[in-house]
Amino acid sequence: MSRLGRRGYEEEPVHGFLRVVHAEFVRLVNERASLWQEVQRLRRRIIAGEAGGDPRAVLFGKEDAHVHAVRILSTAQVTADRYVADAQAYSSRVTEEARLRRDDIMREARQHSDMLLEDAHAKAREAAVSALNVTAPPQTARERQAAQAELAYLRTYSDVYRAHLRAYTEGVLRGIDEWERKEAASVQDAAQGNANRRSIGY
Amino acid sequence: MDVVRLRESFAHVAMHGDELPLFFYSDLFIKHPEVRELFPVSMAAQRGHLVDALVKIVSQVDRVDELTAFLQGLGRDHRKFAAVAEHYDAVGASLLATLEHFSGPDWTPELAADWTSAYELVASVMTTAARADEQLRPPWWRGTVVAYERRAFDVSVLSVRPEPQMDYLPGQSVAIESPSRPKLWRYYSMANAPRRDGLLEFHIRLIDGGAVSMALTSPAIADTDLRLGPPVGALTLSQPVSGRDLLLVAGSTGLAPLKAILDQVTALPQPPGVDLFFGARTADGLYDLDSLEKMAAQYPWLTITPAVSADSQFAGETGSLPDVVARRGDWSARDAYLAGPTEMVQEAVARLASAGLAQDQIHIEDFGWSEP
Repeated sequence: MSRLGRRGYEEEPVHGFLRVVHAEFVRLVNERASLWQEVQRLRRRIIAGEAGGDPRAVLFGKEDAHVHAVRILSTAQVTADRYVADAQAYSSRVTEEARLRRDDIMREARQHSDMLLEDAHAKAREAAVSALNVTAPPQTARERQAAQAELAYLRTYSDVYRAHLRAYTEGVLRGIDEWERKEAASVQDAAQGNANRRSIGY
Repeated sequence: MDVVRLRESFAHVAMHGDELPLFFYSDLFIKHPEVRELFPVSMAAQRGHLVDALVKIVSQVDRVDELTAFLQGLGRDHRKFAAVAEHYDAVGASLLATLEHFSGPDWTPELAADWTSAYELVASVMTTAARADEQLRPPWWRGTVVAYERRAFDVSVLSVRPEPQMDYLPGQSVAIESPSRPKLWRYYSMANAPRRDGLLEFHIRLIDGGAVSMALTSPAIADTDLRLGPPVGALTLSQPVSGRDLLLVAGSTGLAPLKAILDQVTALPQPPGVDLFFGARTADGLYDLDSLEKMAAQYPWLTITPAVSADSQFAGETGSLPDVVARRGDWSARDAYLAGPTEMVQEAVARLASAGLAQDQIHIEDFGWSEP
């Protein structure tokens, strides 16, 4: 089904199909070429045999040996390319996951700090409202003392909130740092591992 | 040289797909093992480059002027890969062997002569350009990383001392090779105009899975020696100065070339008015905003507008950078310079063109910044 408002075929699946057809076509062309070369080689071998030469020499002729060597090296190169591509895809996935996880941690931290702030604001508003609702200014030394006590309480309360918030934020940042260190160490280990592997013949 | 026969022959061998460049490089490395070390471990991208170059050469072989300019650039560019004249002969021999192998019964002495003349032409233009370039500059510069600073989760700023000192135009780029990623070169723009101390500043964004960007954003890059290719690129302030005010649109580390241009403008006797839009996904991505705001406080002709696309809580402009630029004014009388992720740049260019900017008022670089 084509997308609304567009005539013709849905491009992606058709292009996907064309890619498959193209890959198959290239495979067949290459297969035909190597069969043709094989026929040529066998023909040379027969001619050499009929001429009384050593047909085995043709099997290992210099030219054929070179083409064989090229094929072997090509296969080795394609294998190496695949290893590199796989490693790159893995590294891409790990980095992407790290990015998403970091975004989650930051989002959570922001929500939490917003909540704490909102709570602190609410408390402060309540305190202000109750201060406004006091009918008369404190007259006696006792009332003044009580007001100072409440002020001291609110100050302490705000300090405690701030300390909590700071501790929480620092905790989150420490968590991120720690996590990054581990990631860096694991990348280094992996690199070290690759070097070791080479030395033990993998 | 029979151009039609050459093209038919190429169309025939090109049907073999990746097998063609695979055979070519294997043949070259077996006959000349010393050439292998000029290439990276993975040859997948390299094979693509070879086929692209062959397609371009074969399709333009009868348009000599266009082809010559391309080949001269290619010849100069290959100096940093340590390609020397002898390699051209080796490459030519392997190319001929590859074409013969895949042409099968169609390979004739006439066709061999066509390909030989075509390759001789290519090699001669490339080596002549490379030799002329040798008189002007080194094949590559050693660049010592003298300072490393991580500015955001995925952006680092490197300060690099090139040896010898490098002349370049603000807005240009160099290819960089890191010692831990041999033979992999990626383009980065200098983020400052040439300075007396010769230092170059680079803004590097970590691309997911990007082999080179990962090495360059790691703290381990400090104090290492990079290799820098020659400065290239056409995203430079138009000369003579047009007299028009400037609009700079930077997405993420696309800021680098535009900051170099801004740096250049500060030194002009009569700087034009400049509006710089700096966009990122989130506020964290506005990694250089402090420095830009300091400049804006210092220069009355400069206005900075930060914008983020994926954080509606952001205190400034929100939305895609092209949208933000479009709604912030009429830019039809400006010279616009844009850099950043390819899609963003394409979208912004289309919007500016439809808002009335002529083609010569819009300046972009022709390679993406998203290359890993």
